[in-house]
Amino acid sequence: MDFSTSMTVAASGMRAQSDRMKIIAENIANANSTSATATGEPYRRQIATVKSEFDRELNATVVQSGKAVDDMSDFRLQYDPGNPAADKQGYVKMPNVNSLVEIMDMREAQRSYEADLTVMDASKSMLARTVDLLKK
Amino acid sequence: MDLPAIPLLSMLKERMSWLNQRQNVLSENVANIDTPGYTARDLKPVDFEKALKAATSGAFNNAMAVTNPRHIALSQHAAGAFDDENTPDIESNPSGNSVSLEQEMIKVADTQAQFQAATNLYAKAIDMMKTAIGKTGM
Repeated sequence: MDFSTSMTVAASGMRAQSDRMKIIAENIANANSTSATATGEPYRRQIATVKSEFDRELNATVVQSGKAVDDMSDFRLQYDPGNPAADKQGYVKMPNVNSLVEIMDMREAQRSYEADLTVMDASKSMLARTVDLLKK
Repeated sequence: MDLPAIPLLSMLKERMSWLNQRQNVLSENVANIDTPGYTARDLKPVDFEKALKAATSGAFNNAMAVTNPRHIALSQHAAGAFDDENTPDIESNPSGNSVSLEQEMIKVADTQAQFQAATNLYAKAIDMMKTAIGKTGM
């Protein structure tokens, strides 16, 4: 039992948050990715998932990013008759990505990442304190 | 004479391992801040009276005596020596996660300060011992 445990746990949280950021970035980047044909589907928003797992070797509960799941909400319809992906009525299916939601998710991931970083800093300074005892 | 046999140092060691384990539990809470259904945990505070009694009565040294270099001393404090408990915060988000980031940050800062105090006291105790044997510690 030492401070590397708490640092490893904090690092697992940071890894999960950066995986989440990757999915958010994919969603924002694909906010306008439509299908090439009228019958196809546009980009479907992905939802990042996290799960906690008990690490036997570490004897602590670490966090892991789970498989991203599809957001099954309806696609937005946009009137654009000239688009090759438009249906008979002239509507194009747009991805179900809401940039406001994505930005809120991004802020949350950022805040959680910062919290993990703070914990890591605290553990590191406690470890440094202990090592400093050797200098006396 | 070995250093952990001195009550003050053994108490400080106990305190430091308690804080170390608390830091581990707090880092688990912060890492799982977005995990659905996760409940925040914290270590149970150590009963001061019990700890004092144990330290002063020498009950800390209730491990088997090592009378031969080939004896293997029992580790008195294995990983997770202190009990922890669920401490769900009042606020809980819709996913069932009850970790309050602010609360955890306060606890982390508190643990850090307490640890600093313990290491400073440890260094002071060593200094005092050096003074007693006639060497200035500085």
